[in-house]
Amino acid sequence: MNSEVTFSSIVRSEWIKYRTVRSSIVGIFLTFFLTIGLGVLVTVLIRAHWNSPSNGPAQRLTFDPVQTSLVGVIFAQFAVGVIGTLFITSEYSSASIRTTLAAVPNRVRLIAGKFVVLVACTFVVGEVVSFLAFLIGQAIYSGVVPTASLSNGTVLRAVIFSGVYLTLLASLGFCIGLIIRHSAASISVFVAMLLVLPLIIAFLPQSWQNDSIRFLPGEGLGHSMTSVQPGSHLFAPWTSLGILVLYVVVLLAISTTLFRRRDA
Amino acid sequence: MIKVEHVTKRYEGTTAVDDLDFEVNPGVVTGFLGPNGSGKSTTMRIILGIDHPTKGQATVNGKRYEHLRDPLHEVGALLDAKSVHPGRSARNHLRALAASNRIPYKRVDDVLDFVGIASVANKKVGTFSLGMSQRLGIAAALLGDPGILLFDEPVNGLDPEGIRWIREFFRSLANEGRTVFVSSHLMSEMAVSADQIIVIGRGKFITQGSIDSLTANAKGTVFVRAANHAQLATVLRDHHAVVTEANDEGLSVTELSAEEIGQLAFDAGVVLFELTPQRASLEDVFMELTADSVEYGSSGVRREQ
Repeated sequence: MNSEVTFSSIVRSEWIKYRTVRSSIVGIFLTFFLTIGLGVLVTVLIRAHWNSPSNGPAQRLTFDPVQTSLVGVIFAQFAVGVIGTLFITSEYSSASIRTTLAAVPNRVRLIAGKFVVLVACTFVVGEVVSFLAFLIGQAIYSGVVPTASLSNGTVLRAVIFSGVYLTLLASLGFCIGLIIRHSAASISVFVAMLLVLPLIIAFLPQSWQNDSIRFLPGEGLGHSMTSVQPGSHLFAPWTSLGILVLYVVVLLAISTTLFRRRDA
Repeated sequence: MIKVEHVTKRYEGTTAVDDLDFEVNPGVVTGFLGPNGSGKSTTMRIILGIDHPTKGQATVNGKRYEHLRDPLHEVGALLDAKSVHPGRSARNHLRALAASNRIPYKRVDDVLDFVGIASVANKKVGTFSLGMSQRLGIAAALLGDPGILLFDEPVNGLDPEGIRWIREFFRSLANEGRTVFVSSHLMSEMAVSADQIIVIGRGKFITQGSIDSLTANAKGTVFVRAANHAQLATVLRDHHAVVTEANDEGLSVTELSAEEIGQLAFDAGVVLFELTPQRASLEDVFMELTADSVEYGSSGVRREQ
């Protein structure tokens, strides 16, 4: 019997861990609920008010059927961030990280296995909810409000990116959790990166704001889902995605290095 | 075989383990004895590669733990019994461990059965009593059928039946030629379950040996009853004996053997009624050995040497 600990055996083990705790299941449920629930709510409201006199020509001109149907993703990003964070911090709060390390002492491989499971699961969930929210939203709009079609390359990219963003944010939560090793503190830092940093930047002079805001990890999300032209101070969708990837890569390198050095 | 080679572990300011150097051999149950906070758990974590030593190294079967290719087949460990995600069932916890080392799921059910928690295998570990958690931890240690087993305070939380069961179990593991390393702060437990004992205090090595050799080397007391206690006490004290108790019942004498006391009494013309060497219990030995190294004395104030 080949009994060696390999990358695939670690992935199998981590997959069992991922699906056998409540936090992942609740997190996935919340991701569905927030993305699709809020998407339905917002698109139904927009449809109902589309022909009202308050919806002037200017509003109609800037209307984006893709972004409005995916609005729930903005909330779901916190749910997937928490899934990613708890996937590692729960090992510390329960001290099961020690049991894990006794079974898999190769720390880099362990983190790689955990990361792959998290990325794969979040990617599947993220794409499913993004496409569902988009399709349901367009179905609600159809007949009254202008709709978008996936046959349009820009629209397709926006919907796919929405799922990719959720995946990257879960990864970001995971890296923060691996550095801080404490559930509540890690989630606070994650939320601060997404919500508080933009607020701080809002107090800077306008020209600085324009230069800095586009480098924040959460900023690419809103406009990369936009199929209409993004604001001029933001990067193009691919660049924004690249910046978030860079955040994840750097934080993953830092957190894995710390994990190798530290006692568990 | 486990080898701890001049291992030192320092945390900001405090030294948890101080130049420990010992071997744990197969075929016997080796007890790892020391007061609470003496560095037993830290040493075990260092052996398992969970904590990094400041100096020195620990090896199992000649290799550092992180270099083992199939760790659960070589080493099984029970650390803190509560080191399990409370929301996961016992079976899923063991399955995740088994999967990482490519151990068939059949083995999970076998070990659950063996430690006697098969009936609660699908319950969340968070609902387990300490005794049940200990049994789950033992099941996890046995998963890969390893040749080396480490147990950190395994009898904690076990009921008397469980304690007896685990003692016999350690014995049978050792008889199969495995290396069994068991820590405890209870000397009475070690006296009945271990063949060899390594004693540490405040992270420092104190002594090592069989139970018999440890108790033999300790200062024994000799109980003496004689016709004239006062006279005999004077004679013995003149020969550097320490007479700890002198009343009508008799004398407790240390620093002299029964033979020497008998001879001195004969020379002084004191009639002896009783001359009984009292073997030091392991408990006495332990107290004597670790008297200077108790991290938290019963006064609650940290004692300095």
